[in-house]
Amino acid sequence: MSLEEPGTRDVGLTKAGEVNYDELEALLGDAVLGRETHLNAEAFVIRPDAVQDTLSTLKEEAGFDFLNCVTAQEYQDRYETIYHMTKYDDRTQEVGVVVPTSKDDPVSESAEPVFRTADWHEREAYDLVGIEYADHPDLRRILLPETWQGHPLSMDYDQTKPQIVTLRENKNPLQEDQRLNDDSDTMLLNIGPHHPATHGVLHVEATLDGEQVADVEPDIGYIHRCEEQMCQQGTYRHQIMPYPDRWDWGGAGLLNEWAYARTAEELADIDVPEYAQVVRTMSAELSRILSHMLAVAAYALDTIGDFTATFMYGMQDREVVQNILEDLTGQRLMFNYFRLGGVAWDLPEPREEFFEKIRAFIDDLPEKLEEYHNLLTSNEIMQVRTVDTGYLDPEVAKNYGATGPVARGSGIDYDVRRDDPYGYYDKLDWDVVTEDGGDNYARLLVRLQEVEESAKIINQCVDLLEDWPEEDRTIQANVPRTIKPEPDTEVYKSVEAAKGELGIYIRSDGTDSPARFKIRGGSFSNLQTLPEMAEGEYIADLIASLGSLDTIMGEVDR
Amino acid sequence: MTLSDTIAGLLGLNANDPLQFFLAAIIASAIVGTFMLVNVAIAGPWAKRKITAAFTDRIAVNRIGPFGLMVIVADAVRLLSKELIVPEEVDRPAWDLAPLVIAGSALFGFAVIPMGNGIQVADPEAGLAYVFAVASLASLGLVMAGYASNNKYSMLGGLRAVAQNLAYEIPLVLTGVSVVIFAGTLQMSEIVAAQTGTLATIAGIPIPSWYAFVNPFAFVLFLVANLAEVGRNPFDTPEAPTEIVAGYQTEYSSVYFVLMYLGEFIHIFLGGAIIATIFLGGPAGPVLPGIVWFLIKIWAVFLFTQWARSALPRVRIDQLIEIGWKGMLVLSFANLILTAIIVGVVV
Repeated sequence: MSLEEPGTRDVGLTKAGEVNYDELEALLGDAVLGRETHLNAEAFVIRPDAVQDTLSTLKEEAGFDFLNCVTAQEYQDRYETIYHMTKYDDRTQEVGVVVPTSKDDPVSESAEPVFRTADWHEREAYDLVGIEYADHPDLRRILLPETWQGHPLSMDYDQTKPQIVTLRENKNPLQEDQRLNDDSDTMLLNIGPHHPATHGVLHVEATLDGEQVADVEPDIGYIHRCEEQMCQQGTYRHQIMPYPDRWDWGGAGLLNEWAYARTAEELADIDVPEYAQVVRTMSAELSRILSHMLAVAAYALDTIGDFTATFMYGMQDREVVQNILEDLTGQRLMFNYFRLGGVAWDLPEPREEFFEKIRAFIDDLPEKLEEYHNLLTSNEIMQVRTVDTGYLDPEVAKNYGATGPVARGSGIDYDVRRDDPYGYYDKLDWDVVTEDGGDNYARLLVRLQEVEESAKIINQCVDLLEDWPEEDRTIQANVPRTIKPEPDTEVYKSVEAAKGELGIYIRSDGTDSPARFKIRGGSFSNLQTLPEMAEGEYIADLIASLGSLDTIMGEVDR
Repeated sequence: MTLSDTIAGLLGLNANDPLQFFLAAIIASAIVGTFMLVNVAIAGPWAKRKITAAFTDRIAVNRIGPFGLMVIVADAVRLLSKELIVPEEVDRPAWDLAPLVIAGSALFGFAVIPMGNGIQVADPEAGLAYVFAVASLASLGLVMAGYASNNKYSMLGGLRAVAQNLAYEIPLVLTGVSVVIFAGTLQMSEIVAAQTGTLATIAGIPIPSWYAFVNPFAFVLFLVANLAEVGRNPFDTPEAPTEIVAGYQTEYSSVYFVLMYLGEFIHIFLGGAIIATIFLGGPAGPVLPGIVWFLIKIWAVFLFTQWARSALPRVRIDQLIEIGWKGMLVLSFANLILTAIIVGVVV
């Protein structure tokens, strides 16, 4: 492929490698109605009937191959869909595509034919805000029941009027499946919403042909709790920070808090003291270990099928980390430790004892990981079960916007910690783990190796913190008591959470709480790839693939 | 002298009168059956928990009674007092009979197992064939349960159980037959008697001529096939909790659930009993009485299944069938033919 035209990659770039928005605008031609400036990138306002052309031009010619997130919102005079685009090769290059639609006829063209990931994102926009997407293959509600009246995040929706949808009204579980004709040999199997392998209330509609999976459709929304709406009602300074913890009960709460902290700090222009950054980095990586250990333990459970040794070992090793984080934050699950401009408090006294605890864990870790490799990755039965099953092609993964260990398990070298650095990551020595397998085994390997990398980061942070001069230990920047960003400031920022990239979009309206708060859960996009992995394989592989995605429904349903 | 004969003698019954002998045999069966059920009662609610806990670094039951042993009583009360939920549209007679078939079929097998100290209800000439025959009856129960439950998970579980039993029954029986070639008989007491000699003496310790030592290859084959036969890891696909919830037993609750579980455990013990009898010299062993040695051996097999359960991942159903038909079947035939040649040439 060395004959690839030289320079194609450079379209829309300045000589310094920055995004050249003027050139991009020229490239898009008359589709562009105007320009907006978001804090993270420039955005083009385009005609609602030119979405596919615009996105495919940006994708094919300018290399924006990653549709990171789709935000929908309603203004007094219009609806708006924002496509946040970036590149897998360079996360810092971003561009927004804003699609306004009129109030009377809120229809815009669907981006689904260009990016498969737009499928679910646009269904969510339709469901919650009420924008319709022409050309969308399957524009149904996604989070709310199909019988729901109105669109909860739209302006004319009466939020005080409760709607109760009984199970029978929503869907009769015993009803014959209408999608199948009588003489077909397939069987519809409902896996979930309560099932041992779904790790939360996920409903997978699997059409089986014997033991083989002919069709899979994840049905989400069972624990949709209006997290975005709740965040819109909270004030920036303190009331939003506890919510991100609740999007991931697998232990990755601190990573999620960082997503909000990073976005809000960008919005309010707050600089975080270096000391606080190191503490954040260390605690976030401990949080990642918690999450990955749980993922590996639960994965053992999915493929082994009982509460077996590997599962319990995982739980025990997590317990050590859990205790460390309890010492630091006072909490075991919902940490609520980050604050805008820093962290809540300094490390626990005596500091030596705290460092000693972390060091002891890091020192024991190689031996413990060896045990996981003995029990799981080098077990031959495990290998025949996971190698070459649930294959996710890198190009398909990109098309679906997969991130985190799922993308890295398919050989995509993408990690927000390195590609769009935040915290203290760019000053530390660590590697991004990738595996080329693309199968269930590769994703397992990536998680185990990432635990090692996290340990490396934590070790370096402890080194730094031990020698940190006492007078320089500023844990929080000076942040005004009430944060009121300029009206109509828009920002989209993301961090590398445990399950994938966790992005948050905030639009301010001049008050002390956001006008629009949109969450991009990594699991939301990752879960969309399940049909690609599981179709044509055995039902046991479907379960293994689902486990290897390590979805957390708090982040999917929000 | 079987246990039935002994009891007939003790009660002064005429062993030649069919009716009187039948009475003695019923009493003998009741004794053996109760004895095995006691073993299962210890294994199910208590030992299984303790063993799994030891493998997984936990403590398990330790609150009620010494070592938590009274949990057996507590569990019995709990399970028997639960509501028996009968789902709509289950296929009634079959759905009710399945737990009985599963639990009963394995208990039948113990009738011909020589447990030492003269504990053996009957000793027919076709003993081994009988054991294999009744043990396979459980598959019928699994199909009944899976089909009658009117549940897709149960259906899948039932189908998997049949496919699995078909694939592993043949290697199991063939490997058993290789022992029969050595022993020259199907009669259980004769097979035990054939293992009483000494194979070799190593450092002054006599190695008995148990068939596990005579033909370790067959022993391993049988052990593996037995794991599949009783549906334990890595061959627990018919239940596969994370895939098909609980397979054929998904819809069973209360007493029926107890019977299902009981059946599984008796099956594991029956597998252990067969292994002990045809490979490990039955009740043979130094110092301790035969019945104690017999118990040690069947519990050792139980321990092995629990170890596999704690440590090994489950194979996929197609892989399981492949191992059965392409691997185990070929190996067991090879074993059978080699045994036949060796016995033909040497003996």
